[in-house]
Amino acid sequence: MQPLTIRRIVLTCAVLAAVLFAVSVISLKLGAYPMSARDVVLTLVRRAIGHTDAIPSDFRLVIFGLRLPRIALGILVGVALSVSGAGFQALLRNPLADPYVLGVSSGAALGAILSLVFTPHVPLAMQGAAFLGAAATIAAVYFLGRRGGQLDSATLLLAGILSASFLSAIIMFLMTTLSGRDLRGMAFWLMGDLSTAPPDWNLLGSLYVVLLAAVGAIYTTSSDLNLILTGEQEARHLGVNVGRVKLVVYVSASLLTGLAVSVSGSIGYVGLIVPHVMRMLFGSDYRILIPTTALGGAIAIVAADTLARTVVAPTELPVGAMTALAGAPVFIYLLRRRLP
Amino acid sequence: MAGSPIFLVGLFYWSHLKRRRGSRNLLAVAAGLAALGWAALVLAALGPAVCAAQNAPTRVVIDETDRKINVPAEVRRIVSIAPSVTETIYALGAEARLVGDTDYCDDPPEAKTKPHVGALLNPSFEAILALKPDLVISSAINRPETVLALERLGVPVYATDPRSVEGTVDSIEGLGELIGAERAGKMLAAQLRARLDNLHRRLAGRPPKRVLFVVWEDPLISVGPNTFLADALRQAGAESVVETTQDWPKLSLEEAVRLQPEALVFASAGAGTKSDDYDGLRERPGWGALEAVKQGRIAVVSDALDRPAPRMIDAIEQLARQLHPEAFGAQEGKR
Repeated sequence: MQPLTIRRIVLTCAVLAAVLFAVSVISLKLGAYPMSARDVVLTLVRRAIGHTDAIPSDFRLVIFGLRLPRIALGILVGVALSVSGAGFQALLRNPLADPYVLGVSSGAALGAILSLVFTPHVPLAMQGAAFLGAAATIAAVYFLGRRGGQLDSATLLLAGILSASFLSAIIMFLMTTLSGRDLRGMAFWLMGDLSTAPPDWNLLGSLYVVLLAAVGAIYTTSSDLNLILTGEQEARHLGVNVGRVKLVVYVSASLLTGLAVSVSGSIGYVGLIVPHVMRMLFGSDYRILIPTTALGGAIAIVAADTLARTVVAPTELPVGAMTALAGAPVFIYLLRRRLP
Repeated sequence: MAGSPIFLVGLFYWSHLKRRRGSRNLLAVAAGLAALGWAALVLAALGPAVCAAQNAPTRVVIDETDRKINVPAEVRRIVSIAPSVTETIYALGAEARLVGDTDYCDDPPEAKTKPHVGALLNPSFEAILALKPDLVISSAINRPETVLALERLGVPVYATDPRSVEGTVDSIEGLGELIGAERAGKMLAAQLRARLDNLHRRLAGRPPKRVLFVVWEDPLISVGPNTFLADALRQAGAESVVETTQDWPKLSLEEAVRLQPEALVFASAGAGTKSDDYDGLRERPGWGALEAVKQGRIAVVSDALDRPAPRMIDAIEQLARQLHPEAFGAQEGKR
């Protein structure tokens, strides 16, 4: 591996951004509403230069009301899930760590379901409840995972796994005992779904602010994370405030998970696989791993969602099914290849 | 603009690398182009929005969920996102104006040839827009989120929400008025009401049969009292043995044996008579312990029973005939 320079980080990210751009443009062109590439480009250009009156109203609805918000949502979810996965993996020094393993997404899902039952028509209640659910699960797992005054990775992981199954059991219980139309969409949502409702730009804007803040917070710890990964004692001797770094990563990563789950349900495998692939491609230095993981996660979700809504169009598959379908074999392949 | 940081970073990097030679130049140019593209995309997304001008004359109607909606004075292009709505539109003779329905709209069979817009819980908004509807009609089987999302896209959605058999007939009449088939709607509704009245007269004074309605066999799922299926059972002179607050309760077979219903009721596609398919139940563990199974008191009715559309009345009549053959005279006991 060549030495890590700012130039290398920027160049790598620029290339990944170019790939993400290409995937997004392809996604913008594909869909149940037939549109030629020329129409798509014309619509974008007209809107960019302000000639909005010249855009047919259907094109406007499809591009700006459906496809572009969905791509923006896919990028948001992809970045949030993969970066939180990378964060949890560093935190626990465990390659299997992932928002799902730790129970964080189950907590967020439970919060969202409770809000659907008790405050079904309050706007943003579901997002807020998912945040709260994720935060409460984190607090519980964090508390349970402490041993002798400090976080113990194995105990924490076990606490996470137990919380995940406990919370899933509560979700199953609620879904069986409470009936009503508001829970019928849950099956899609639990599998991970971006199709439920095209988000509006104001909501997306505020979610992106949270996303950037949390990803930024994790990125500021990346040099410290590199040291912690070589050993906590060593890092401590080198002057790293290990407790503070862990807390920052833990809170930011949970925030990211709550964010992703509140808008898209439980999309699996992205938080696990994308950081691993990026490690294999670009090395495990967190200064390059965090930005490439963010972009890689965005690429993965936008691509998976494009497939989900086009392979059997007009019927849409849940994007979580696509990521699991593509992600699990890729992961097994990568694991096998790494074996000596 | 939000695009400019990406743009600037790209530009900076590009100019920085221009001084270097070699294969990296190509990468740098590609990165620069991507940055430009991103800037354009973000600019486009954040550009000024316009509202589509509505030039067709509209009228305001209130749908069955008490939403006020703007409907064109004359509805010409309807997309149905519920099988019951599709069936009703055909029954009203307005199928020429139906331009799209769902993957699950199978009755009448011609409905399967209409362009589909996807499944009931997540229809494709793009496919709906592509059909250029001036009205989308939904039912209680759809999700409220779907209705809201379509509304946000500027497509008027009329939500039907029948909660009982009589409510279904009212809903059919209302749909006729909505889509310009007022006379057909009134006639159809009057006919259906007359048939229900006739049924009530025949069943008057007869105690309702205690039945177990089997929605699903394994696991055993039945119906709760607040569903319109429960009302359909009542209209057919039956009552569900299951006491629950849930709409789709899951029962153990043990509970079913304890309740010992007088008859089992199955809804199945293309049914109208007792079917041999259900003789096998006798051999299955648990089911054989049910008196109704031992004595073959199994009613099988058309699956139209759980669709709030005109054929539901047929299914109710079928069920009433099977449960109360004496009320219809001996020769009419079986069809």
